[in-house]
Amino acid sequence: MFKFSKRNRNRPNPAVKRDTSPRGSRILRARNGRNSRPGLAARFAGVDWARFRINVVVGIFCLLWAGLWGRAWYLQMIEGPRLADRAHRQHMASELVTGRRGMIYDRNGQVLARSVEARSVYVKPQEVEDFLVMANTLGPILGMEPQKLYDDLSKTSRRFVWLKRKVDDYTAQAVRKANLAGIGLSKEYDRVYPFKHMAGQLLGFVGLDDKGLEGIERALEARLGCIPTRQIVQRDAMGRRFYLHEEGQSEPRGQDLTLTIDVQMQFIAEEAVARAAREHDARWSGALVVDVPTGEILAWAQYPFFNPNTYRESSPLIYRNRLAADALEPGSTFKPFVMAAALQERKITTTTPINCERGKWETKNFIIRDTSNQGVLPANKVLRYSSNIGMAKIGLALGAPTFYKYLHALGFGERTSVPVAESRGILRMPRDWSEVDIMSTSFGQSISVTGLQMAQGYLTLLNKGVYKPLRLIREEGNVEEPRQRVFTEQTARQVMKMMRDVVEEKDGTGKRARIEGVEVAGKTGTAQKADHRAGTYGNKRLASFVGFLPADRPRYLVLVMVDEPSRNQFGGVVAAPVFREIAGRALIYSGILAERHVDESGKGALASGARRRGLKVSALETPYLAQVAHAPRRDSGMQLPGHLAKASDKVPDVQGKSVRNAVELFARAGVVPELKGSGSRVVRQSPPPGAAWPAQGQGAACILWLSER
Amino acid sequence: MKNTFTEKPKTAKSRSSFSRAVSNAARAEPAAPFDWWLFTIMLTILAIGLVMVLSASGIVAEQVNGDKYYFFKRQLAFAALGGIALWAAALLPRHWLYRLQYPALFFALLLLLITLSPFAPAINGAKRWIPVGPISVQPMEFVKIALALYLAYFMSAKQDLIKTFSRGVIPPFAVTGLFCFLLLLQPDFGSAVVLAGILFFMCVAGGTRFVYLFFSLALACAGAMALAIASPYRLRRLLAFLDPFQDAHNTGYQLVQSLLAIGSGSFFGVGVGASKQKMFYLPEAHNDFIMAVLAEELGFVGVTVVMLLFALLFWRCYRIIMGQHNLRDRFTAFGLTTILVMGAVMNLAVVMGVAPPKGVPMPLMSYGGSNLLATMLCVGLLLNFSRTADPWTKSS
Repeated sequence: MFKFSKRNRNRPNPAVKRDTSPRGSRILRARNGRNSRPGLAARFAGVDWARFRINVVVGIFCLLWAGLWGRAWYLQMIEGPRLADRAHRQHMASELVTGRRGMIYDRNGQVLARSVEARSVYVKPQEVEDFLVMANTLGPILGMEPQKLYDDLSKTSRRFVWLKRKVDDYTAQAVRKANLAGIGLSKEYDRVYPFKHMAGQLLGFVGLDDKGLEGIERALEARLGCIPTRQIVQRDAMGRRFYLHEEGQSEPRGQDLTLTIDVQMQFIAEEAVARAAREHDARWSGALVVDVPTGEILAWAQYPFFNPNTYRESSPLIYRNRLAADALEPGSTFKPFVMAAALQERKITTTTPINCERGKWETKNFIIRDTSNQGVLPANKVLRYSSNIGMAKIGLALGAPTFYKYLHALGFGERTSVPVAESRGILRMPRDWSEVDIMSTSFGQSISVTGLQMAQGYLTLLNKGVYKPLRLIREEGNVEEPRQRVFTEQTARQVMKMMRDVVEEKDGTGKRARIEGVEVAGKTGTAQKADHRAGTYGNKRLASFVGFLPADRPRYLVLVMVDEPSRNQFGGVVAAPVFREIAGRALIYSGILAERHVDESGKGALASGARRRGLKVSALETPYLAQVAHAPRRDSGMQLPGHLAKASDKVPDVQGKSVRNAVELFARAGVVPELKGSGSRVVRQSPPPGAAWPAQGQGAACILWLSER
Repeated sequence: MKNTFTEKPKTAKSRSSFSRAVSNAARAEPAAPFDWWLFTIMLTILAIGLVMVLSASGIVAEQVNGDKYYFFKRQLAFAALGGIALWAAALLPRHWLYRLQYPALFFALLLLLITLSPFAPAINGAKRWIPVGPISVQPMEFVKIALALYLAYFMSAKQDLIKTFSRGVIPPFAVTGLFCFLLLLQPDFGSAVVLAGILFFMCVAGGTRFVYLFFSLALACAGAMALAIASPYRLRRLLAFLDPFQDAHNTGYQLVQSLLAIGSGSFFGVGVGASKQKMFYLPEAHNDFIMAVLAEELGFVGVTVVMLLFALLFWRCYRIIMGQHNLRDRFTAFGLTTILVMGAVMNLAVVMGVAPPKGVPMPLMSYGGSNLLATMLCVGLLLNFSRTADPWTKSS
């Protein structure tokens, strides 16, 4: 216990003392002074005035203290919620957070498109201290003219200006080092397409604001893109943010996408269409490869190539995805559908004799010509010779409504299930069809279809007459579409047999598509292109070929289109060899056909090394064609273009390279190097260049020393 | 650091003859024991204050000084120094203390003049500090003690004349007025108000005629009116506290931030260290507005506990005052207590927005060496007086 309590015990009767003992003399005198006034003395005789005065002061302070306590109660308990809400609004800022866009993979996990972090330089003019210093410092760093920078920024009344979007690491670092007031760097994402122009038109591209503008990037924006979300973040009075990620809450990012495209198949197809287009000086060429059993699109090639990495240097003419967006009159490749419909409707049988009028048939107001002058043919030969007259007669036998019904069931005039921006094509209603229309539609005119629709139609035919949707996206779940049978299996077989004859019979138009060792089926097409200005058909052609193989049990469906070839215009001459090259290499790639079959065939386009050597390969368009275009060997693994090729068995020289690049090179060999230092460039490496890779499991064996800056 | 304070005559003397002082005190004065309750309560408040200084200053210190314990460490050192000063004052022989009223007054005057001289730097446009090595001394804190000592001396020694105007009223008003004038030159309006308050309450206790006190109050009001009419801007600034949200980004900013902090605390507070207002929103968070941070972090409960602790402290002081037999003892103790109470009341009033914002620190809690040292000196002297106090009895 404390001492004062003891004192109390020692002096048990303090009250007595106070009454008897004299106070301090001055206190007593003061009291006496007061007592000298008789009136008051009577009334306040017993009052200790000095004590009273002090107690008055104490009273005042007691009141003040109680008042302050009450004020605290008022502020915290009554006004509390309102004030806390106000404070909360001040502490929390809602911020637009843009996440990383989803990646696009091919079916084997190769990255077709990825987003990488990039820095963008911005300026808040209000916060800049000295525009002259800023302009002179930033100008050289950003490669902008200081005078222009100064003029633009010192006069602007805007609060926020982008100086340069998506700069490289070096520039970002230099800007950071300059440490200028009002200049900042913000994180953005840059879209990178590692395979450069591969499947460029299909993939499309992404604008500066991370929004898909073309192709898959645009069509699947909702899935790939990360909708910028408003996030509530805490900030201090200087506006600095505190990012407190809650447990389990990760940064927002878009969904990844796996396409059915196979990079290797795509490469094969692109190589083939590029060669064909150059050889025939075509406007453009394209090819689709479809895996028949699954309906998956394996390749989607179009030449001239489009490199989405540099989309700004390109034009819509180049990046237009023609296979999906261009509706064209298909020509003879359309005939098998008409044939199948007529067989299905029992209007004809395979042996029904059809008079092909020796190549020229004058109807009431229309003359149809054939390239061959055949007389009466059995129905199964009409397709082989690609007789327009024969087809017109079959079409007339069908009649417009039935005709329309089949075309509609095959998917013409409708968008396919493939999620890209595509044209519907033009399929008019049967009541609008004249007799001429029926006839011309029978051989692929007066109807507009896209390459994709053609592929869809053939897929249905090859799938034993049952509709099967084309697929471009993998892992879409197993949503089985209601299977709609268009043709009986027998009809499909009959048409497939006719198409086999087109290639495999001596008198077929598609002989150039033959591949030794496997039965090929197909149909050539040489569509006259409508000259819209003249209002009639001009002399430009769309050469095409649709084929599949093996003919009896199709694995691959390949559609080739070569638009406006200059010298030779026939599909059987221009497009069939392209089919042959693609299909042949696809068979080797998938192991269906041994390599030697193709090699032995010698003269074909596939192995024509001489021609390839004579071809000037533009580095910009096809940086890798020359190296990888030799006969692909399945056993040598995936022959992948450019920098994605398999890593060498020796340690590469990464000294002087950027960290990102170096790590990528090492990672390709399955090695994750240890980084020392914090710079952005490698100055030293271990093991030295050219040495063998360290044994597996020695993780720390690879060290990269980084530069200081 | 120490030599700063050795200039204070009281401490200097007490330290130079410490042992003699102890024996003197023991021999010459009625040797009642120290008021240990007073000391304990003070230590408790000091401890709470230290924790709050750490909490409120950590982020600012890390930002500005690169060491989040910067202010905490310094406050700890000041507290240690204050402890020495406290015990020196507690053991100081009374008759030495009673010779110091004029030297202390002149010394305080000298210090104030130094702050106004060109040697002292202006910080934020105010010349309130004297830089001494790594620290700055704020003479104002010691002026208060010197004035209280002087007024106590005057009120007790001139008790006969206190009712007269020319010799009982003029001298204390003149002395206080001089100090207030010098403080207004600094400018330090808040401190001037504190000095005026000390004078007023000392006069009330000392027995100055209420007429004079009434007139002095009226005069003060008239002066304030004149000032307001002369410069309406100043008046607007002064009255901004009535509706701080009107001009929340300028004149009302500090008060708004303080109110937001207090309001965010609600009943139990957001927890020690969890204040958001201290993140550069609330200026002087560890200093004059430490009670706002406390209110936010510990809520109404914390505020109540601290206010109760202070009330207990003042109650012990009241006991000591009332226990004094000698008039000068009583007035001196009263004056010292007034310093503490005025500081606490005015600080809370400012923080809670019921008085115009002025720089008045919270005794024992706000960061600041001079204030802490002066406060502990006051408590030390009060401990000294507790030895001559009668045991507590209810006055009849």
